[in-house]
Amino acid sequence: MKVTFQIEDASPVVMECNAGDNLLELARRGNVAIDAPCSGNGSCGKCRVKLISGQLECLPSRHISDEEWAQGWRLSCNCRVMGDATVFVPDIASAYQSRMKTADLSSPQEIAIFQEAQDALRESGIHFQNAFRSLVLEMTAPTLDDTMPDNERLTRAIQEALGVEQVEIPYAVMVKLAAALRKYNFRLCVKGELVGNTFRCMELSSPEDTVIAACAIDIGTTTVSMVLADLESGRLLAKGSSGNGQIRYGADVINRIIQQSRPGGRKKLQDAIIQETLTPILANLCRTAGISAKSILQLCVGANTTMNHLFVGVDAESVRMEPYIPSFFHWDGLLAGDLHLPANPLAPVRIAPNIGSYVGGDITAGTLASMIWDKDEMSLFIDLGTNGEIVFGNRDFLMSCACSAGPAFEGGDISCGMRATDGAIEACTLDKETMEPSLSIVGDGDQKPVGICGSGIIDIISELFRCSIINAKGLFVREGRRVRRDAHGMGRFVLAEAEESETGREISLNEVDIDNFIRAKGAIFSAIDTLLSSVDMTVDMIDKVYVAGGIGSGINMKNAVNIGMFPDVELEKFAYIGNASLTGAYAMVMSDQANAKCAEVAANMTYLELSTYPGYMDAFVAACFLPHTDTRLFPHSLQEM
Amino acid sequence: MSFVPKTQPFSGKINAVTLGTGDKAVVIGGQNVLPFYTFDAPIEHAPKIGVEISDAANEWDVAGLRTFYEGCTTMADYAKRAESMEGADFLCLHFESADPNGANRSVEDCVADAKAVAEAVAMPIVIMGCKNIEKDGELFSKIAEALQGKNILVLSARAEDYKTVGASVALAYGQKVGAETADDINLAKQLNIMLKGLTVAPESIVMNIGTAAVGYGFEYVASTLDRVRAAALAQSDADLQMPIISPVSSDTWGVKESTASEEDEPTWGCREERGIDMEIATAAANLVGGADAVIMRHPAAVSTIKKFITELI
Repeated sequence: MKVTFQIEDASPVVMECNAGDNLLELARRGNVAIDAPCSGNGSCGKCRVKLISGQLECLPSRHISDEEWAQGWRLSCNCRVMGDATVFVPDIASAYQSRMKTADLSSPQEIAIFQEAQDALRESGIHFQNAFRSLVLEMTAPTLDDTMPDNERLTRAIQEALGVEQVEIPYAVMVKLAAALRKYNFRLCVKGELVGNTFRCMELSSPEDTVIAACAIDIGTTTVSMVLADLESGRLLAKGSSGNGQIRYGADVINRIIQQSRPGGRKKLQDAIIQETLTPILANLCRTAGISAKSILQLCVGANTTMNHLFVGVDAESVRMEPYIPSFFHWDGLLAGDLHLPANPLAPVRIAPNIGSYVGGDITAGTLASMIWDKDEMSLFIDLGTNGEIVFGNRDFLMSCACSAGPAFEGGDISCGMRATDGAIEACTLDKETMEPSLSIVGDGDQKPVGICGSGIIDIISELFRCSIINAKGLFVREGRRVRRDAHGMGRFVLAEAEESETGREISLNEVDIDNFIRAKGAIFSAIDTLLSSVDMTVDMIDKVYVAGGIGSGINMKNAVNIGMFPDVELEKFAYIGNASLTGAYAMVMSDQANAKCAEVAANMTYLELSTYPGYMDAFVAACFLPHTDTRLFPHSLQEM
Repeated sequence: MSFVPKTQPFSGKINAVTLGTGDKAVVIGGQNVLPFYTFDAPIEHAPKIGVEISDAANEWDVAGLRTFYEGCTTMADYAKRAESMEGADFLCLHFESADPNGANRSVEDCVADAKAVAEAVAMPIVIMGCKNIEKDGELFSKIAEALQGKNILVLSARAEDYKTVGASVALAYGQKVGAETADDINLAKQLNIMLKGLTVAPESIVMNIGTAAVGYGFEYVASTLDRVRAAALAQSDADLQMPIISPVSSDTWGVKESTASEEDEPTWGCREERGIDMEIATAAANLVGGADAVIMRHPAAVSTIKKFITELI
């Protein structure tokens, strides 16, 4: 029998199958992207499809209303195939999650973040220098009298231009040499790496194509983003992001590790990140920047320990199993060609060093970018991702820990959640009396809302709490036009009616969403609390708080404090530094000294394992409350009765 | 020089909550010292014992209980007899038959029973539900209404239904409300904060911070009791200064030690003795941990615990 998946804006996929096959599994086999953060447990409600014709054996779910059920909406993880069927796979808010986005370097804030990081690093004495060179060489063409072979001709020209003794011509360059020299009439551009007295050729190109590029990549559990930069000037050429293609193998690292341990799993997960996720973004970036992929001469990856392992393709099982020792913390020697990345195959791939199974290169790169290692003041660095990572300290010491916050900050596990891209509600205020919201939406002026991103969720929950519409547990306690309840009594707050939204579905935040978010913020705050108390310090000793992550640049610190997510310190102490892992990776790929500095910072960081820390669970339960069970910690949190 | 003991009363104090009316009214809580630490400061109100009566009491098959309640058929009969039990301070009416997944007795029948009991006895009354959130919500509200002015305590409001129960029982009908949470100090505190958020007066709240029979995870109860009391007394945490009530009997009479027959466990000895021992051990452990009242069932266990309290205070 056959199941046909009709995909919005794409050609249908037909899959052969047997009676009893799970629809979501089938979709995965056919590479039909259905977002299922809960990995098919029926708990997230994101994998909805619409039955057009045929039969499916389905279980009802609280995520599907009676009306929707009648229209044919089903959760694909709850469906078994009974016979030939056609289902429609919608392009809903969560599918936006995996939609690629090539930015928009127009946003001056984005460029400014990279520039500021560069300036700060320079100020601390780190040179933005690397070993890559692009040379335009003019050689005389061989004649019957000038019988020097091609490789010696090139070697001589390079020796003369750079004053080096040795020139290496690797096989990949050698095979192209004869044709390239003749094609460009012995005037061509050589791109390569200068190490000491040796120049290693990496690429030959036309004398007009002289750009050499670096690529910095942040691989998050939920989101991947990268920038392409000019290796010589440091100028950003293009920036892009998309959801991590591994998401269909589970929303968190533990599920991914379990999946990769299955036969053939390592290859599947590696393909999902390299072939499905990085390759298309990289291809897109090269197109935008107008360069050839072969001109990318160095890459750097900032990613958590599990993502690093899955990216490289080494077994990550040991990350999950006691005593939690990964295959590598710091490892050099990887080349783009080893992973078939669309870049120069000889390009080194730097991996920001991990320092523990759950504190990875994303945090070391982020710490590098935050500059807290160069300051006297006590700084707190918070990276909001699927794993929240916290670093606290100054130039004398650095403590770090990681907590599992779940994907809520990136819009995962939230019924109308999405990343901070076009259509995301990124900020919100409520009128206390009428409960009417004013929304601010990412995109052009007439952009209709699609979903809610992390910063929007913080605002909405904080406002709902301030206006006493929800109680400290996140349950609705006030009734009104915008507060609605489903058949099970679960409350939700409607931000945009179906006809006001881009997707034609109502955009709302329900009690389960709020509960998920309270857990996420509880995980973050309790980690901060535990880390500080482990060094016998209190929040008033914090001089500066740096917040990083893809939560959205508009994060309202006052609201984040109001809901007890961040410590209640003066608002001037907070600074949002964007995707610090990406900024750090950018610095590491551009500068050899920054790369060395990151390794040094990583080596000097002390890692606190929260799972073995006795008070953590207690601190977590105490923090799963608005703003906190111990209200003395949040004197400025406000609930207007 | 003679020895002068150093006393250590705390600045924090447990709220004194009055249950019932008239001569038989009891006060629980009120102390500013650890349990039974009378050498630090006098304990004005000794811990109290409530006697559990169930609407399923006719099914109780323990000989001692059968003898004690001989001839009783209605809940009011049971209540009057229980009032005469040595050591009893108040009565606890347990409406376990109201459970929709069980006998599903109607709310009207339960309310009628509660009214009959209230007319027949003078001791303070505590109401226990059937653990079904929806049924309890209705039951509690109706009983609180019917027994207005009797100053009863209703067990319990939980995180799921604190709004309905708190609003009807405490705000509308002026009764006392129990705040029930799983064994966790933070959850206990959160529920108290939310009840106070409803404008329920702290003096109307009694806590049930989670229970277990000894040997069945009681260490969690013990640690929660310790920590709640430490926070209330040493840190003067007003959100945790509510007195604690521990329903003991409903746990201890359901565990294997109390239910296994002598044929099945010949080496364990007399079943009734075992049940009494479990009840005594659990009640004593709760009291030394900080409970201000325990709810018990067997006359022998009640008199033993009464003696235990009197000897220590």
